[in-house]
Amino acid sequence: MIQRISRRTLLRGAAGVGIGLPLLEAMLPHSARGATATAARRILFVFQANGDQPSRRFIDAGETTFTFDEFLAPLEPYRKDLLLLNRLDRRYSKFAQNERADGHQQGGASLAPWKAGAGAFPIGGADRTVGYVLGPSADYAIGDRVLQANPSVPQRHLVFRVNTKENNIWDVSSHAGPVGQQNPVNPQTDPYNAYTSLFAADSKDPAVIAALSKRIAMKQSALDNALGEIGTLRGKLGTADQQRLDQHTQALRDIERSLSAASGSACNPQPFSGLKLNVYDDTNHADLGQMFFKISAWAFACDHTRSINFNWSGNTSNRVYTNLGLTDGHHDISHISDDDAFAKIRAIHKHLWQQSVTLHDLLKSTPDGPGGTLWDNTLVVHWNELGQGDIHSENDALVVLAGGAGGHFKMGRLLDFHNQRSFADMLVSCFQYMGFSDVMSFGDPLLNSGGPLPNLTA
Amino acid sequence: MVVSSSRFLAQLGVWAALLALSACDAQSSSTTPTTPGAAGQTPDEVLASAACQMPAPGRAPLRRLSNAEYRNTLTDLLGDSPTTQALLAAATNSFPSETESLGFRNNADYLGVSTLVAQGYVDAAEQLLDSIATNTRLLSCTPTAGAEMDCARAFIGRFGKLAFRRPLTAEESTQYEALFQKSLTGYDFASAVRATAFAFLQSPKFLYRVEFGAAPSPAVSRPTAYEMANRLSYLFWQSMPDQALFDAAEQNQLTTPAQLEAQARRMLKDPKAARLLEYFDEWLGTDTLPSTFTRDATLYPNLDPNLPSLFQQETRTFVSDILSRPEGSLSELFTAPYTFANGALAEHYGLSGPAGAEFVKVDAPGRSGVLTQGMLLARDKTTRTSIVRRGLKIRLDVLCELVPAPPPNVNLTLDSESTASLTQRARLEQHRTSAACSGCHNLMDPVGVVFEGFDAVGRARSADERGLAVDTTSTIGNTRDANGPANSPAQLGQLLAQSEEVKSCYLTKSFRFFYGRDADPADACSVAQLAKSFKGTAYSLSELLVALTQTDAFQYLPARAAEAP
Repeated sequence: MIQRISRRTLLRGAAGVGIGLPLLEAMLPHSARGATATAARRILFVFQANGDQPSRRFIDAGETTFTFDEFLAPLEPYRKDLLLLNRLDRRYSKFAQNERADGHQQGGASLAPWKAGAGAFPIGGADRTVGYVLGPSADYAIGDRVLQANPSVPQRHLVFRVNTKENNIWDVSSHAGPVGQQNPVNPQTDPYNAYTSLFAADSKDPAVIAALSKRIAMKQSALDNALGEIGTLRGKLGTADQQRLDQHTQALRDIERSLSAASGSACNPQPFSGLKLNVYDDTNHADLGQMFFKISAWAFACDHTRSINFNWSGNTSNRVYTNLGLTDGHHDISHISDDDAFAKIRAIHKHLWQQSVTLHDLLKSTPDGPGGTLWDNTLVVHWNELGQGDIHSENDALVVLAGGAGGHFKMGRLLDFHNQRSFADMLVSCFQYMGFSDVMSFGDPLLNSGGPLPNLTA
Repeated sequence: MVVSSSRFLAQLGVWAALLALSACDAQSSSTTPTTPGAAGQTPDEVLASAACQMPAPGRAPLRRLSNAEYRNTLTDLLGDSPTTQALLAAATNSFPSETESLGFRNNADYLGVSTLVAQGYVDAAEQLLDSIATNTRLLSCTPTAGAEMDCARAFIGRFGKLAFRRPLTAEESTQYEALFQKSLTGYDFASAVRATAFAFLQSPKFLYRVEFGAAPSPAVSRPTAYEMANRLSYLFWQSMPDQALFDAAEQNQLTTPAQLEAQARRMLKDPKAARLLEYFDEWLGTDTLPSTFTRDATLYPNLDPNLPSLFQQETRTFVSDILSRPEGSLSELFTAPYTFANGALAEHYGLSGPAGAEFVKVDAPGRSGVLTQGMLLARDKTTRTSIVRRGLKIRLDVLCELVPAPPPNVNLTLDSESTASLTQRARLEQHRTSAACSGCHNLMDPVGVVFEGFDAVGRARSADERGLAVDTTSTIGNTRDANGPANSPAQLGQLLAQSEEVKSCYLTKSFRFFYGRDADPADACSVAQLAKSFKGTAYSLSELLVALTQTDAFQYLPARAAEAP
């Protein structure tokens, strides 16, 4: 079953560091899924921070005649596969002050449209501390539905973030829930570790295969042992501790599925070659993003997961884009309302869009399903925690849906919702795209209109 | 599940600066009570109340090892050495940073095992198996053919006790022997040792601090002797018990307050007590300096590339010195006119004396304890100081106040061209003419301006980034009892040092970190015990650490629901 990947190409990163990139076609279409008549649908969220300048998004805002202004211009080559959702409202101000964090924090949890809990941070609420949101994010909940329907898919979701290691209310966008519980999902921040945990070493050497199988047996035995112990402990503890152990149990089951996948099919891309990058060296920001994109494409192609949450940073990111000649942090700049500051914000977003669309190219070049590519079967959801940065607007959100997305959406259009529909409605549309048409609401009812966004589908 | 500090403080009658958004929008003079709340009680009054006549331990949640605790535990288990430390650093490199809560990364309510964390435990343990299987302290016998299980039993008993930090029960011994036997059937002895050690390291009894207590009464029980050994070792060393603690547990010598105090004093003298400096790192924010400190190279040329680490080392050495002396107090923490520096840091600060790599005590006129150390710089900007964020940090982390978020839809022109000839202070004063801003900024800015005599890399200065003379005259207001004129960090330090609000805040922070959870109303008696001890020892920082072993929260735990009659 082990499929060799022999051909490689060398990709030059922005910093001139060579990163070996296997051609994904080597893995496909003869892998296990090659025989499937229709390819699975995938979803990938891509986050960039601090809001933008809504008045400079489009020169012409016609539904099909739209013209991008400068900072969105990198999207132009993909326009026929884009659905631009302009001016969605997050509606958090419908929550009482003690039920929501500030614009960045609550907006940074837009994928998890629930009220904020208490207890984690002394800034942001009104007269109490503010906590993480009290429910799951869409990347998690969609992944959960995928697993229920397809128990062989090993990973519920994957969560990646570039560079920053801290996990707080400003840095985490994925949440596991369940509803009523604060349970942030801390992301993978190291693409090398992500590779190691997703893909086993690829070899035909019987000794290597035997060693791998021994390691897997050792792990399975230990996980069984731990699951038994957790079960015994659980019965002796209170509710909060039980919830913690239930999460642990679920994590171990996730790893068991990964081990089965590692020992079963073998869809193993070559490891990254070349000089190993320091994953917390800020100058590697763009290259690290590219590496996570490749891992995302491999994980989709190998059907390790169907839901991915990628973040160029945490919300409120104060990264200094020295590569653009800037000296102040992104968030600091975003707080200033003059033309000079907005020009810098546009430059940052243009740079991030230039980086993000390389994901589109990667999906387009990765074979998937009969005669198609990953792009045909994937929905990329580009989002931000704010509308306009300087005033921290909770409305005026721009969401860019990109990809063939299995033909679910009628692409090539710009739709302006005039802040009459919500960000959560958009997430409902994502569930429906993934085949979960029973989902008519996601998150707190106050943030939903009831049903998906209108006029999106083909 | 998570209880807010404000509710707790209100319950205790301790005045907390609850700056409700509406109040923050208004002029702040009306928001500041000048006396403790109506329900205010002294620690003695709390302790005399009916609620404190029986042990009242509060919650005792299951505590997952923090990343630092995991590293320390395995370092001690394998035998501390530079090699072990390097091995653990590499093995735990993939662990995601813990979820932050209330300024710390060890809050039990937020320390779960997600899939990524569990994967990290699997990967880390695998990297440790060679060093376990070849460690003659852990595996001291050689198996003989046909009698492998004799040696296996010895290994399981020894390794299991270290991993679970208590002797295995008979049932557990049987369970792990069966696991060993199963591995031995498929593979060789060495492989079975590895597989068994690996299973121990995935066990919830290794990864969490599991406590059931001994002989529960309906409401309250005491930790077992080994559970108490763990409470002590994780408080002072952020790690597993040593042999002396195991011995004391074995002999049931960890019961009386005096026994606990004696252990506490012994443990504080051990070099492993340096690990509790993690508390100060996380509280003051120096832990993230190495990953977040960025300064514009044009404005701040020729900085030592290790500056963030030097700042971190400065605070650690400074605090260690205070902790080494019983009279080392909270006051000294905020007012010391000296610091610790090595040659590189002294040169950076412009202090004379220190040379070489070692940090030594040095007079630092104008400096004021941690207030002018790395803490000051943790929230500055890449190109300048931040009056607002420096003030905010004092409000949040030294006074334990709550500050609301900025209101939405405010046009911000603080740094625009039209204000280029003004100091940051003057620009902020313009800003505060807006009613929407003035409420909260009146809390932060007057505190922040006293630090303007120090630049964004911590050096004394008289002119700001634009060459304009800095003005540090200020009057601190809107605190419970730290109000008054202050024109320098040293004068602010004096105000903070005598403040009950600051002392109470320090207790709150210590409670959160060392007990791994936020205090809630059920902890009123324990907090009063700490407050009384703190005052009684003239606010000694090291004596407070000892006092943390003398509370109901430390000496008891609530009876587990399943075991209640």
